[in-house]
Amino acid sequence: MRKVLIADDRAPGRELLRVVLEQSSCVVYEASDGIEALQSARELLPDLIILDLHMPVLDGFGVLEELRLDLRFATTPIIALTASAMQGDRELALSAGFTTYIAKPISLRALRGEIERFFHVK
Amino acid sequence: MTHSGRKPISDAERRLGELLESAPDAILELDNEGRIVLLNRMAEKLFGYTREELLGQAVEVLVPEDLGAAHQRHREKYLSHPVTRPMGSGLKLEARRKDGSRFPVEISLSPVKSSTGSHVTAIIRDITERRQMEDQLRAVQEKYIHELELRSRQAEQANTLKTEFLSNMSHELRSPLHTIIGFAELLAEETEGRLGEKQKRFLTHIQNDSRHLLDIINDLLDLSKIEAGRLELRQEAFDIVPVMEDALSSVRPRAVAKSVELRTDISVSVAVVADRLRFKQILHNLLSNAVKFTPDGGKVRVEAAPHERFAEISVSDTGIGIPQDQHRAVFDKFYQVRSATRGGGGTGLGLAITKGLVEQHGGRIWLKSEPGNGSCFTFTIPLERFDEKSVDRGR
Repeated sequence: MRKVLIADDRAPGRELLRVVLEQSSCVVYEASDGIEALQSARELLPDLIILDLHMPVLDGFGVLEELRLDLRFATTPIIALTASAMQGDRELALSAGFTTYIAKPISLRALRGEIERFFHVK
Repeated sequence: MTHSGRKPISDAERRLGELLESAPDAILELDNEGRIVLLNRMAEKLFGYTREELLGQAVEVLVPEDLGAAHQRHREKYLSHPVTRPMGSGLKLEARRKDGSRFPVEISLSPVKSSTGSHVTAIIRDITERRQMEDQLRAVQEKYIHELELRSRQAEQANTLKTEFLSNMSHELRSPLHTIIGFAELLAEETEGRLGEKQKRFLTHIQNDSRHLLDIINDLLDLSKIEAGRLELRQEAFDIVPVMEDALSSVRPRAVAKSVELRTDISVSVAVVADRLRFKQILHNLLSNAVKFTPDGGKVRVEAAPHERFAEISVSDTGIGIPQDQHRAVFDKFYQVRSATRGGGGTGLGLAITKGLVEQHGGRIWLKSEPGNGSCFTFTIPLERFDEKSVDRGR
């Protein structure tokens, strides 16, 4: 079973991802802010991490930076999730070290596509 | 020019003397050593001396002390090349009264031949009032310029704030919309249980309206970015045909539902330099308007052809048309054709955004239409072979 960690400060957002990921036979762990996400990631060593960019305490960029410094997460796929609509955010996320970028609102089909891609390519 | 002498003074000479005496400007005559040999009444009044006090004095007594030495040098130079001219042109000249106070003056000089050598006549005008008026005028001018700058800075700040506000708002609106759309999609998939016909219909309403809400949010954000000049284009060269096919397929279901025929007419391959997504958005906006305003059984046609440095792309329809007097207004934000309400909503921002997007690419958009004879929107986008400059501008 693939372990997936999702970090989003909004509970409905977490549940939506949980349902879709569980349909794809993933075990889902949740975090509601950046610090929690860091702790869980280090404990669980998930196979995939989905980070909302806008979170209280420590945002997605902050979590990513910490994780990428840790050799255990050097190649872990980490997806940026954001509701921001500003152009350039995608470039910003990719250059920061995110594996890919998903804009809210997501299309479930697109999300499933990404999940499939990560777990089959590996 | 002496008043003494044997020759009797003629009437004309006497009248000329009176004229100089009562002139509104001070008049002085200086000998070749700069001593005052002649002065009129205005000179006494202007400088506050009596005639007797001034006669025989060096003219520097009327010059502010700190300028005296320079004045003397200029005077000697003038005598070596005496011509009629204004003194110290371009400089702010000042003179000194008996009480030491200074005032601004304008002076014109002219050489005079006299029995005792080269003399100089100086006509001196007190320009205190004029200077004051000029200063006032300048102060008013500066005040307005300052105010204008302030206003435009404020407007700019307000614009930036507005864009930031809208961008934050759009983020805040998008987050809940994300889950509304997501959960509605999950329900529609019926993996959590089968739905009745009515439930499915309700769900379709939720899905359609949440998509519509998302479109409105996107439109508002786009327009605010365009207005603030903050829209970033990711320019690249591409063939328009595949993008056009994409845009056409996005409106095809609605066209099919209304039996509106969609036709393209592109004889040669046309490659442009543009932001691919924005280009598609322009086409999509024009096409969906065309389909919306074309009655059942009508036709919508897309044409493209190179014209000078631009690709000229037209979307024409056999719809209700637009009266001449509204051809400009259709591109205003919040403009809506009255009968559009029947066609179901819209933000009234579509064409304003379309125009902004076209112009951001360096193109133009215009409309040809008559009521009853359909509408034809044409826009231009830079062609690829002239791409270098456009590409640089986009980076």
